[in-house]
Amino acid sequence: MASSRVAVIGTKQVKPILSANKTEAKRRVLNLYKAWYRHLPYLVKDYNIAVTVPETKAKLRELFLKNKHVSDIRAIDLLVIKGQMDLVETMRIWKQKTHVMMFFKDTNIKKPTAFLSRFYEGHD
Amino acid sequence: MLRLWPLSRGLKARHVWSLAARCSSTAVPEKIEVFVDDKRVLVDPGTTVLQACAEAGIEIPRFCYHDRLSVAGNCRMCLVEVERSPKPIASCAMPVMKGMKVKTDSPMTKKAREGVMEFLLMNHPLDCPICDQGGECDLQDQSMAFGSDRSRFTDMTFTGKRAVEDKNVGPLIKTIMTRCIHCTRCIRFASEVAGVDDLGTTGRGGDMQVGTYVEKMFKSELSGNIIDLCPVGALTSKPYAFTARPWETRKTESVDVMDAVGSNIIVSTRTNEVLRILPRLNEEINEEWISDKTRFAYDGLKRQRLTNPFVMDDKGNLVQAKWEEALTVAAKKLVSVPGEQIAAVAGGLVDAEALVCLKDLLNSFNSEGLCTEEIFPMDGAGTDLRSNYLLNTKIMGVEEADLILLVGTNPRYEAPLFNARIRKCWIHNDLEVALVGPKMDLTYEYLHLGDLAEVLQQIANGKHPFSEKLGKAKHPMVVVGSTVLQRPDGGAIHKAVTTIAQNARVKSGCGEDWRVLNVLHRVASQVAALDLGYKAGVEYIRQNKPKVLYLLGADEGAITRDDLPIDCFVIYQGHHGDRGAQMADVIFPGAAYTEKDATYVNTEGRAQLTHVAVTAPVLAREDWKIIRALSEVAGAALPYEKLQEVRDRLADVSPNLTRYGDAEDANYFKQSLELASLVKDNLTSTPIRPPQLNLKDFFMTNSISRASQTMAKCVHAVLESEKKGKLS
Repeated sequence: MASSRVAVIGTKQVKPILSANKTEAKRRVLNLYKAWYRHLPYLVKDYNIAVTVPETKAKLRELFLKNKHVSDIRAIDLLVIKGQMDLVETMRIWKQKTHVMMFFKDTNIKKPTAFLSRFYEGHD
Repeated sequence: MLRLWPLSRGLKARHVWSLAARCSSTAVPEKIEVFVDDKRVLVDPGTTVLQACAEAGIEIPRFCYHDRLSVAGNCRMCLVEVERSPKPIASCAMPVMKGMKVKTDSPMTKKAREGVMEFLLMNHPLDCPICDQGGECDLQDQSMAFGSDRSRFTDMTFTGKRAVEDKNVGPLIKTIMTRCIHCTRCIRFASEVAGVDDLGTTGRGGDMQVGTYVEKMFKSELSGNIIDLCPVGALTSKPYAFTARPWETRKTESVDVMDAVGSNIIVSTRTNEVLRILPRLNEEINEEWISDKTRFAYDGLKRQRLTNPFVMDDKGNLVQAKWEEALTVAAKKLVSVPGEQIAAVAGGLVDAEALVCLKDLLNSFNSEGLCTEEIFPMDGAGTDLRSNYLLNTKIMGVEEADLILLVGTNPRYEAPLFNARIRKCWIHNDLEVALVGPKMDLTYEYLHLGDLAEVLQQIANGKHPFSEKLGKAKHPMVVVGSTVLQRPDGGAIHKAVTTIAQNARVKSGCGEDWRVLNVLHRVASQVAALDLGYKAGVEYIRQNKPKVLYLLGADEGAITRDDLPIDCFVIYQGHHGDRGAQMADVIFPGAAYTEKDATYVNTEGRAQLTHVAVTAPVLAREDWKIIRALSEVAGAALPYEKLQEVRDRLADVSPNLTRYGDAEDANYFKQSLELASLVKDNLTSTPIRPPQLNLKDFFMTNSISRASQTMAKCVHAVLESEKKGKLS
């Protein structure tokens, strides 16, 4: 019943995923952030990765800020759900070391863009 | 009943028709109506049934018939049924007749093809798995398409199939004569196109053999083409034997740089290696032939290559270095001397992109010392007028010409495909040829006018009997070899030739569209270099004694250490460790023509592109990139970084350099003659002699072909066969 009403209004209002308004969405984001933040020391220890805790904190902040332009509540909710799933997977050691290190992209070597370095690099 | 003409009369009639067509050019001959599988086609009288079928979109299977060769009609594969004729007819030799009804898909036609296939296969070995032609064999393909699906060949008495001894015809062509189906394409090619009547048949019937009768080398500069022509695996490439199957290779369209003709080629590659080179059709340049140097010099791309930068150490030894180091050493030197003490020499295999980069680099250092290795007279208009140094009539122009005067050139070895075109027209178009130079075998007859430069002056003044003949010609051509212009009296010769050409042009009344003067170059880079404003010849460097000399692929030894001051710093950039690299202080390894996207301009002034077929070996880089990198290290970075930007720069300097495939016309012959009249007539009495007189001189002319083992074998084989000829 309620859903059909929403469908009628349609163009003006969409069915929320989790949050009804911005404040609620923001709260969910902050909660997720805190949950990750609290887990970071354990993450470094559990996975035995060559990264310090402050570095992981910086990375966490960076990854969250990467999506700061998102203003759609439904999109924010989805990102939160994904982040939550990711956190659970990480906490339960369903991941492996390399999966965690993928956050840091440490094997991703950037290709040179200047002419001379491209020339030294070889065939492009 | 409609009576069919016997074959010979049909052929004669065709000839008459074509003659009639030539004489009365005003009356358009009426088209003849024929029906191919009930489809109506209108064709010119004199066309063959096979051509009419092609017009209707139906390809008739054939072995002996070839577009560019005379009709033999001996393989019988092209049999088709013609209504109201009792027997199937050979469509390649039969001219069409009014209302002819051809059936290419009837039971009779099919049976005829099947029968012919059966006879051919009866005497053809079943060695496809080890045959080099496998995968590109006409017999293989056509037996699949038109042959019978079962064999009646049982050989109950085990007498075996026909077997023929293999022949040795030189280091390029491998013969497995048992596979031969006697189509005689190779024989016709040799006598008609190559003009070497060495191949023929002996014996008859089942004992017929194709060969040279006595064992000897097939001495032609175009011999490799019979490999392509052979419909079966009887003639295959010796260097390519057992190398690869056609479906395994990657094919890249490219352009040849062995001579200045710029033949279109296909480079076959696999695992980053050039496996073979085949011709690509281009009616305006090479038709479908290529010369042996073009086809077989590719193994030179793998030997003697410069794969690493080198820098001279304190002891005077060249040692391997990193690019950073080599570029820094060279850049330091470039910056340390005043601009006018820097000079450059461009060799014969350099592309236009590298040429323009080098010119921009040196110009930014205030140097004008950019020279080409090949000399061209700079007196008179020199290289300022493009028409002075191009083959203005174009290669296609030979087809229209009625008189060619060759001056100091041996086109047979300097530009084999240009020569093939002359021979073709000499046979079919009543073209007459005259020659100033030593007597040599050009594969066609010519009027020999002597080998002295004075003759040219006499013709120019109208005192020579030949000038009368030249005056009568409707479409005369004067072709000057680039070597004769490199003599000390080159300027005077150019003047004489310009005068001859201009006189002939005025007298013939051929109008402004027909150009008479032609220069036949020998190296691929020359026209592009002159278009870009390089000085022709290294005289400037000999006089100015530079402190830094940049050799861009200059391997012909025009400049040696003796011509330079002792402290001169030589930078060599190129792909082979040849003469240029030997005298260098720093070596930059460049890419060969199969390894880069580059522009080459042929002797007609036609810009064409090569494409990357394989990557350059180890640390070698594309040439323009090396110069661009050097400019950046030297602190005078050139204002372009991408290939397209270099091409834009090329177009800025000379737009014709990027109009690929087109040959831009050049003019101002009259003005050129006016300027030439200022040149002194200091003709010397030394006889005119082009450097390549015999086949042995043809094979090794540049750094790639000098590094090629196949080419060395060719030279050896020619020398051996000459020795043998002398003994007998």
